[in-house]
Amino acid sequence: MSFIKKFIERETLNRRNFLLASAYGMGGVAALGAFGPGVARAAYSDPTIAWSYRNRTNPYWNEIVSGGEAFVESLGKSKDALTHLINEGSSEKSLADVKALLAKTNGELALAIDTNDAPNCRPIVEAVAGAGGYVSTIWNKTDDLHPWDFGDNYVSHMTWSDEGPAEQTARILLDAIGGKGGIVHLGGIASNNPAIERLNGLKNALKDYPDVELLDAQPADWDTQKANQIMSSFLTRYGDEIKGVHCANDTIGYGVLEALRAEGMSIPIVTYDGNPQAVELVAKGEILATVFTNPHWGGGITASLAYHAATGAFKPSEEPHEHREFYGPTILITPDDAVEFKKNYIESVPTYDWTDFWGPAGGQIMYK
Amino acid sequence: MRSYLTRDALVKWAPVIVLIVLVLFFALMEPRFFSVRNFARIGISSAPALMIALGVTFIIIMGSIDLSMEGTVSVCAVAFAFAFIAMGGTLASYAWLALPLALVVGAAVGLINGLVHVKLRIPSFMASLAMGFVGTGFALLLTGGDRIRVEDELFRSLLTVRFLNFPIMVYVALGFLLIAWFIQSRTTLGRNFYAVGGGEELAHSSGLNVNRVRLMGFTLAGMFYAVGALLAVGRIGIAETATGNNFMFVSITSVVVGGTALWGGIGGVWNTLVGVLIVNVINNGMVVIGLPGYVQDGVLGILVIIAVVLSTDRKSVTFVK
Repeated sequence: MSFIKKFIERETLNRRNFLLASAYGMGGVAALGAFGPGVARAAYSDPTIAWSYRNRTNPYWNEIVSGGEAFVESLGKSKDALTHLINEGSSEKSLADVKALLAKTNGELALAIDTNDAPNCRPIVEAVAGAGGYVSTIWNKTDDLHPWDFGDNYVSHMTWSDEGPAEQTARILLDAIGGKGGIVHLGGIASNNPAIERLNGLKNALKDYPDVELLDAQPADWDTQKANQIMSSFLTRYGDEIKGVHCANDTIGYGVLEALRAEGMSIPIVTYDGNPQAVELVAKGEILATVFTNPHWGGGITASLAYHAATGAFKPSEEPHEHREFYGPTILITPDDAVEFKKNYIESVPTYDWTDFWGPAGGQIMYK
Repeated sequence: MRSYLTRDALVKWAPVIVLIVLVLFFALMEPRFFSVRNFARIGISSAPALMIALGVTFIIIMGSIDLSMEGTVSVCAVAFAFAFIAMGGTLASYAWLALPLALVVGAAVGLINGLVHVKLRIPSFMASLAMGFVGTGFALLLTGGDRIRVEDELFRSLLTVRFLNFPIMVYVALGFLLIAWFIQSRTTLGRNFYAVGGGEELAHSSGLNVNRVRLMGFTLAGMFYAVGALLAVGRIGIAETATGNNFMFVSITSVVVGGTALWGGIGGVWNTLVGVLIVNVINNGMVVIGLPGYVQDGVLGILVIIAVVLSTDRKSVTFVK
């Protein structure tokens, strides 16, 4: 049970650090008042590096943060040099923690953050820019908010578009069934943005395959068991008409595979997310394709962008727009490259060049 | 003839009538619904839910409620998977010990649940809801959010091997249904559940140790949750924190729809079987007749209300809480 002890110790420590930070903050606010706010300051030699996120129990966020730690270690510091601000899904806590840390560090801060929801992004960015810190955001941002409106302090924003990659997996599926017959789609929670984008990707691909019919699309809520039950009901309704299955993510795919296994059936399916287990199934040929979004790199490079802007290594305002707002990487994994992918990304985490900010990125964000 | 058609008889058989009407309705809408293969699919989706609903049936008969099933199922599933893989990863080795171990874990969680309710005098609603969260959190701590695959062919034969068109897990579920029926009708404990639910004060003044009955009820429920967890893992081959998801709604709904009254003392395991089948027939049937996803939840809710109206004799209760 030592891991439980460690977990509790870590949480206690986090809380203690936060309390200390808050206490410091009071002093910082006073100091800031004395010298006047909004002073544009020169580059910092050793800014505090922080990641603000939901929590670490989710495998996705765990990957993001491990990337942040890898970046900090690449600077020759210990892992613990990365400050963790854990918002537990609360935008209010997210903002309060950032303000406390800004005050403690007197604005000498390189912050990587997912602001939890889009409206929260503006107050966070304004707080950081106002205190002279540097911030890079991922995922949540309103469409009217842009890094280039904040000079150097709002360094960058990265997000992932799922429509294109979902279309690619759909094409692989549609080719595998010979371009004709029926398919079904099992989606995520109907109102979730990635769920909508991934279904749209499939619909885009279908335009080029007039002989393929989308028999049904039902939300499986990202849930393996729900996907399992929906797939078996699909089998009753459509039976052998179903030639292929397009799944909104890997966990849905697992449920579909088991529903097929229960019937002794095997038909092509594609998924999304590139979880290790799914990659293994791709290597075995049980899944035709999945998409990897490299959260480890995303977490590291976001911290790196904020850090290098803070140290003055590059000047964000001199960069073009596609270096300020860009899509994260997406890697398509098929049976041909699954084994190599597994070797390169899962069995060993690659060493990234954290100053190659935009190499793996996927182009400037387009607004609809 | 008249004597068979009393109001009592109607209320007693209403859940079965609802089930038959539903099956006929879906079969008319889509003939493929009415096939042995589809009944096997309904059987597979019902088996884990039935185990969990049986567990909570005993609690509801006592007039209490247990909302801890999602957490308990997750803990049992994860504990089973860890033990199973650590001890060899196949039923042909000592790893079979993980099966009874899961039952012990379920009983332990149930007992703690009961102790919190009885000894700390917290209403069962709140105590079990809180314990459910504790269970989910503990399962998350154990797995760190990862999924554990249980790939042993022998264990997975619960799903993959069929006998008379139905997979083994359906027969396992029926076996445990008979055990639950035995407990309910042939043991003192079973009769005591009804005594506590029918009138706790009366049972207490007749010399019954009500607290002990409650503790045993929660422990027994925990063991049935564990069986449900094993079947759920057998169904998808994965144990994770999300294994328990959705079981609270499905099991409580099934028990009530089956005609077991939430105020206790009325109903039993056969009602629960019919209730579980009603809920799963509705879930399966709505997809099979091609109802759009966004309508399904609403329709399920309405059908549940109709089923409860038809299957419980509300005139026999003076107030509804």
